[in-house]
Amino acid sequence: MAIPDLGVAAGRPASGDTAATELIVTGGKRRRTSRARRRSRRVGLLFALPGLALYAGVVLWPMVQSIQYSFYKWDGVSASVWVGFQNYVNFFTDPVLRSTLGNVLVLLVFFAVLPIALGLFSAALITRSRQPGMAVYRWIFFLPQVLTSVVTALLFKRMYAPEGPINEALRAVGLDALAKNWLGDFTWALPAVGLIGTWVTFGFCMVLFISGASSISTDLYEAARMDGAGPIREFVSVTLPGLRGQIAVALTLTITAALRAFDLIWITTRGGPGTSTQTPAVALYKAAFVNPNVGQAAAIGVVMAMLCLAIALIITRISERE
Amino acid sequence: MSSRSEKLWNYVILTVMALIVLWPVGTFLAASLSPDRAGRPSSDLQWGNFVTAWNDAEFARSMTVSLIITVVVVVVGVLLALLGGYAFGVLGVVGERFLFPVILLGMMVSLEVIIVPLYYQFRTIGLTNNLFGVMLIHLGMGVPFGVFWMRAAFRALPRAVFESAELDGAGPLRMLWSIAVPNLMPAVYTLILLSFMWTWNDYFLSLVFLHGDNQTATVALGVFQGKFVTQINLMAAGGLIVAAPVLILYVIFQRKFISGMLAGAIKE
Repeated sequence: MAIPDLGVAAGRPASGDTAATELIVTGGKRRRTSRARRRSRRVGLLFALPGLALYAGVVLWPMVQSIQYSFYKWDGVSASVWVGFQNYVNFFTDPVLRSTLGNVLVLLVFFAVLPIALGLFSAALITRSRQPGMAVYRWIFFLPQVLTSVVTALLFKRMYAPEGPINEALRAVGLDALAKNWLGDFTWALPAVGLIGTWVTFGFCMVLFISGASSISTDLYEAARMDGAGPIREFVSVTLPGLRGQIAVALTLTITAALRAFDLIWITTRGGPGTSTQTPAVALYKAAFVNPNVGQAAAIGVVMAMLCLAIALIITRISERE
Repeated sequence: MSSRSEKLWNYVILTVMALIVLWPVGTFLAASLSPDRAGRPSSDLQWGNFVTAWNDAEFARSMTVSLIITVVVVVVGVLLALLGGYAFGVLGVVGERFLFPVILLGMMVSLEVIIVPLYYQFRTIGLTNNLFGVMLIHLGMGVPFGVFWMRAAFRALPRAVFESAELDGAGPLRMLWSIAVPNLMPAVYTLILLSFMWTWNDYFLSLVFLHGDNQTATVALGVFQGKFVTQINLMAAGGLIVAAPVLILYVIFQRKFISGMLAGAIKE
């Protein structure tokens, strides 16, 4: 990109280096001229350019192309055919594709509702009792966040296996009837996969809430205690309102995580049995790379992006009201 | 009131939760050391399982691939973040009112949305099944968080820091260096750790883009577990091998991981 050097035209030294130096010197003297600032901003653009270019090339441009792809029918090899909105219509009418949205709704309970509830609960316990050892719990609860998803999936494949620890524990207490191949069961596979999400996400929510709770004024807690509020009243009337912002962030992140769930599901069930654990991301992967229907895959991606954006906007709106 | 019993209950409840969280990890660890193919815990610890898994899954190759990708992405990514953060945080950038929100938008874009065109475009220019192609994507997707993170770090510095660097009569690049190195290393370390974790732990991108000899450790582990379904102990050992680098970093730098991931989630 060519940047006209206004500095030269104005008869100033052309070196970009001096421009930035000037900014800081004059800034320090509170005499920051707009010309020096303009020059510094051009040097800034130069500095930011490598990152911006890469970002535009591998993120922004493919986003635009996704939209373009989504209007075509293409198997990845032969010529593509314009189909208008057909791929989008398919997503909402095809029984298998549509069912992925229903699966996401179930996953929401496990990826969003449960982790936030557990996160609030454990954060309340940890912040209320300023006792030694709390850092250890934090360390343990956050641990699933740094495990690579493949290993997390393997951990739980083992837990849920027909002869795995969960079934053995059930048999040990005489509940043999409940033991089953959890991930191979049409009814239970989805909640089983969902619980993996709970395990991964709740520690993150907790840490988020702990950091938020630390900025709630202690006066509020003292006032609540003066009014004779017990731990539960105190939590509902002080902690919960104080964590509005953090809860909004947690909701946005966890809901989009449910919508995007791929790694865990692909490694544990491949979307099966049948299509009972298929999410939009799994459907996208299959359409893009297993039985190529590239336009359909792109359309799924675009719908996912729009849903994520809409969810983020709605949650921010609601949380910032008042 | 009744604070002693309340404190006791806190410990009890938190410990029960911790045990539930650690249960899968514990059984996995036990399985990885078990002589039993089904992975039942045993007091006869088989450390050799790790060697067998390492050899059978050919982790030497896939771990090397992962390491090359991760190191390049971390080093180049940190440089890009320093340059971008300095530009947006100190120098200012032409059009930043438009450019900065566009960069922040990138923190919300998930790989799923862009993977389809990325794959088919990279295929036409020969960058699929190519480490360089995967590095480019990691780097481009890392720009938003990197710039956001380093910009905040630069902006948090007191003016005096810039003035003292200025006394050396340095140009912007020298200034960036003389400011960043002494003052920003804590922020840079956090960025290094997070970027290492995100790149090393990646599965989806590598699954789509890299095959055969170019497989990363996470994808190789996925293949390995499919082949060795009946040898749970080896599968568990392999899983721990792949998880180890990030786990070790987490043990040492727990605080940095948590603070960095929180900052990324909250975005100011």
